[in-house]
Amino acid sequence: MTTDIIVIGGGIIGSAIAYNLTKRGKRVVLLEKKYLVNGASASCDQGILLQSKAPGDHLRLAIYSMEMYKGLEKELSRELEFSQKGYLVLIENEMELKTMEDVVRQQNACGLPSEIISAEEAMGLQPGLNRDAIVAAAFCPWDGEVNPYMTTFAYADRAAEMGAVIKTSCPVTGLLIENGQVKGVKTPEEVIYAETVVNAAGAWAPFIGQMAGLDIPIKPRRGQVYITEEVPKFVHKGAINARYIVAKHHPELLKNDTSKKAKLGVGISLTQSFKGNVLFGASREFVGYDASNTLEGLREVLANATHLVPGLKRLNIIRTMGGLRPYPPDSKPLIGYVKGLPGFFMAAGHEGDGISLAPATGKLVADLILDGHTDVPAAESFDVNRFELMKENG
Amino acid sequence: MNERELRTETYVPNEDNIYVCRCEEVTVGDIKRAIAAGADSVRALKLRTHAGMGVCQGMTCRRNIEKMLQEQKIDLDLCHSHSQRFPVRLLNAGDFTKVLEEAEEDEEGGCP
Repeated sequence: MTTDIIVIGGGIIGSAIAYNLTKRGKRVVLLEKKYLVNGASASCDQGILLQSKAPGDHLRLAIYSMEMYKGLEKELSRELEFSQKGYLVLIENEMELKTMEDVVRQQNACGLPSEIISAEEAMGLQPGLNRDAIVAAAFCPWDGEVNPYMTTFAYADRAAEMGAVIKTSCPVTGLLIENGQVKGVKTPEEVIYAETVVNAAGAWAPFIGQMAGLDIPIKPRRGQVYITEEVPKFVHKGAINARYIVAKHHPELLKNDTSKKAKLGVGISLTQSFKGNVLFGASREFVGYDASNTLEGLREVLANATHLVPGLKRLNIIRTMGGLRPYPPDSKPLIGYVKGLPGFFMAAGHEGDGISLAPATGKLVADLILDGHTDVPAAESFDVNRFELMKENG
Repeated sequence: MNERELRTETYVPNEDNIYVCRCEEVTVGDIKRAIAAGADSVRALKLRTHAGMGVCQGMTCRRNIEKMLQEQKIDLDLCHSHSQRFPVRLLNAGDFTKVLEEAEEDEEGGCP
């Protein structure tokens, strides 16, 4: 088979890319080794968070992506359970407060209307918070939510309706490389030729890179979460821990914290689905490609969540989940043609930001492949070539 | 439909309207459409339709959904394994907290 572009990976990023390329008239084949939404896109919370992005290029890209989300249900003609009600960042001590005041100032400079509010104000926005657990909170009305499954399927289905070929249960077993140029991929059934191969395999992107002798610095970072039965309105404002933001932007401030909670990177990701299931998490652990739930992880996640929101103890758990985020060394996704390997395009490494950044990533990738330039803000900051991917002897 | 029609023995409900997954209110028709859209395993169907995502976590519907996949000539052996995640049955978060705290006290107390 011959096509224009092959996209490897059927998560939200691969599906958004396939949609954007198909919309612009390209023939696209999307290859997914298992089924659509198999990886991190199905094991995550539903936040489209702006407050968690590093003020600067990362935040600018996220704001741009949020603007795209506002029109996405109309564009894809699908219900995506999108809403924009704002999120709380729960601040537990003076060190976190000091850091968050600084972060909020930088966010405001980027145009984000976040603010520090008192613990009482936070409790007005989300009843049931433990007054003794927080000293203050940050709030941003722009943060929103979307159903990750519905969004991924909507992208993939719309792409298919416009002519894209979506092949599930179809692993890539090798890359076709001729004269130092990627010309296609091998699957168990056939060789597929294409001008460009896009590696959107998330946490599994390094395995695709290895097929071309590339050393892709993405590591799986496990998250463990709980899901409860459907209950009436419980989460009025989604919430995350300030510790999560401090850990992301100022890891040095936490290096003396030897608690299990810190070791496992636990932070609440409190949210509630349209149907009423409450989701809370989450750990951030480096344990290789093991997506299982552990007693230690579940214990720390539950203890943290019920400390901040004691009423969670009344709810019944129906399921726990574990998933693998594609962690890059500098929190930013790797996007662009790889220098020295024509035909090979990287679009992975979104860590916990895949849902937030999917619309912007889809457009950015299509622009770069078809036009060589883009009006997506801060694109150069995510250029894959900021890392040396070619192995020394390769 | 009037009462008399309901009582006649020949009344057969439209198969597509029968619920497979009661928790998430997923019908036979929903499953058929998902299979047509490319879902080829229990988990792929679950992700598309939410069948098995509810309170019983597929305990009621899973077998029926497997049967529907087989009827569509989809080889279950080729389906990707569908793992059950903790806690399998409904578990109160407060009860679990107590169990975990007691277990931790035992660990710290150095019990054998």
